[in-house]
Amino acid sequence: MAASAGPRPGWSRRAQYSLFFSFLAVIAGLIVGLVLLILSLVAPQSYATVRGFALDLTAPISGALNEVTTTVTGLASGAGDYWDAASQNGELKRERAALMRRMVEARAILEENQQLKAALQLRERSGEAVAAGRVVGSSFESPRRFAIISVGSSDGVRIGMPVRAPEGLIGRVIDAGITASRVLLVSDRANIVPARILKGGQPVISTGRGDGTIDVRPLEVGKNPFRPGDIIVTSGTGGLYPPLVPIAKVIRLDDDGAVAIPIADPAQVSFAIVEPPYEPAALAAAASPDSEVP
Amino acid sequence: MVRSALATQGSRLNQGPRTGADYIPAATVVFGSMISLLPIVSATGWWPDWGLLMLVAWRLLRADAWPAWWAAPLGFVNDMIVGNPIGLSVALWAAMMIAMDILDRRTQWRDYWIEWGIAALFIALAELAQWRFAALMGASVPLGVTAGPAILVGVLSFPVAAFLAARIDRWRLGR
Repeated sequence: MAASAGPRPGWSRRAQYSLFFSFLAVIAGLIVGLVLLILSLVAPQSYATVRGFALDLTAPISGALNEVTTTVTGLASGAGDYWDAASQNGELKRERAALMRRMVEARAILEENQQLKAALQLRERSGEAVAAGRVVGSSFESPRRFAIISVGSSDGVRIGMPVRAPEGLIGRVIDAGITASRVLLVSDRANIVPARILKGGQPVISTGRGDGTIDVRPLEVGKNPFRPGDIIVTSGTGGLYPPLVPIAKVIRLDDDGAVAIPIADPAQVSFAIVEPPYEPAALAAAASPDSEVP
Repeated sequence: MVRSALATQGSRLNQGPRTGADYIPAATVVFGSMISLLPIVSATGWWPDWGLLMLVAWRLLRADAWPAWWAAPLGFVNDMIVGNPIGLSVALWAAMMIAMDILDRRTQWRDYWIEWGIAALFIALAELAQWRFAALMGASVPLGVTAGPAILVGVLSFPVAAFLAARIDRWRLGR
C-alpha cells in the first residue's frame, strides 16, 4: 500500500491555508498539553474541580453497567443453583464433612482469632462512617491503582479521607466529585500506610507494588520479622487511618521484607465505607497527593 | 440486462457518506476511551488504552480522518475519562499526529507489518510515558510489573483496533 502522504490540497489556496493552520494548531495543542502536564505535576490541586466534574459525568455510566453485570451474574448463578441442585447437595454434604474436620484445626488458631476480635471492637468504637458506597470501577488501563466509588462530596466525602470495607482497608480518597470519588488503593505505589504486624506488634511500612500486591518492610533494620500468613494492620501513626484495620496478609518473604496481598479485594467487597480521618488534623496534611505517611 | 444488473446492486449505488461521517472517527476514539468506564475492578493495569489504539489505527488508515489538532481535545477527553494526569494524552497524542505527518512525508510505502511496527512504537512510547509520569507523581513501580505487560497487551490488541477502524471507515463512507 502506498503511503497516504497527507491530504494534498492541490492548488486551492484556501485548502492550503486550512492545512497549514491545522498544523499550527496541533503544535499549539502539544504546547498546551505540556503546560497542562507540568501543572498537574507541580500543582495537582488546581485540577480538583475539573477531575471531580469528570468523575460525576462518567461514574453513573460505570454504576449503571455495574448494576447490569451484578443482575446478570445473579440471574445466571441463581438459575445455575436450581439447575444442578442434586449434585450440589451431594457436594455440600462432602464439604460439610470436610469442614467438621477443619473445625478441629480451627481451635488451634483461636488465640489469633481473639486478637482479631479485639481489633474489631476497637474499630467499632472509633468508626462513625461518613458514607458507604459501591466500588464501581477501577483504573485497569493505567499503571496506577485507583478505584471509583459511588459516593461523593454530597455525601460528605472529602479528599484525603480513608476508605475501608468491612474486611479491611481499601485506600484513601484522592478526587471527590459530587456523586462519585476516586480512591487511591493500598496496592498503589504512592499509598504508603504506617502499619504493624498484628502478632507481636512490630511497626512496619506498607507500600503498594502496582500489581495488586503490597510490599511490607520493617521500620527497624535487622532480622526479617515476617512469616507467611502474618496479618498486617494499620498502626494509626500519622492520624489518617484508624488503628487496627486489617490491610494485608503476608504470602512470601523477600530479602528484608515481605510481599502481601490485600485482605479487602476491591473487586470482591460489597461496600466501601468512607470514614473521617482518625485525627482530623491529618486531613490537611493528607490533602497533598504524594505526601502521607508516618 | 443493464436494468437487471442495476437492480441487483441497487443498494450499493448512490450511497454517499453517512451523515456526520466527518465526526465518526473522533467519536470512535472517545468511545474507545470510554471502555475504561466498564465496571471492571482489576488488580493490575494491563488492559490496553483503547482510546489510543483507535487514534493510532485511524491515523494509520487515513491522514484525513480528522484535522490533526483534534488530537489535543481528544487527548483531554481521554485524560478526564481514564484519570491520567491531565495533559499527558493531550501532549502525547498531539505529538503523535506531528510524528505521523513527518513519517508520511518520509516513507515511500507501507505494508501491514510496518503499520503494526509504527503502532507498536507509539503504544510503547505512550505506556512508557504513563509509567514515567506515575513515577514522577510518587508511584515508581518496576517496569516489568506494569508498563511491560501493558505494552505487550496493547501491541497484540492493535490489529483489532485497525480492523474496527477499517470497517467503520467503510461503513461511514457508505461503501
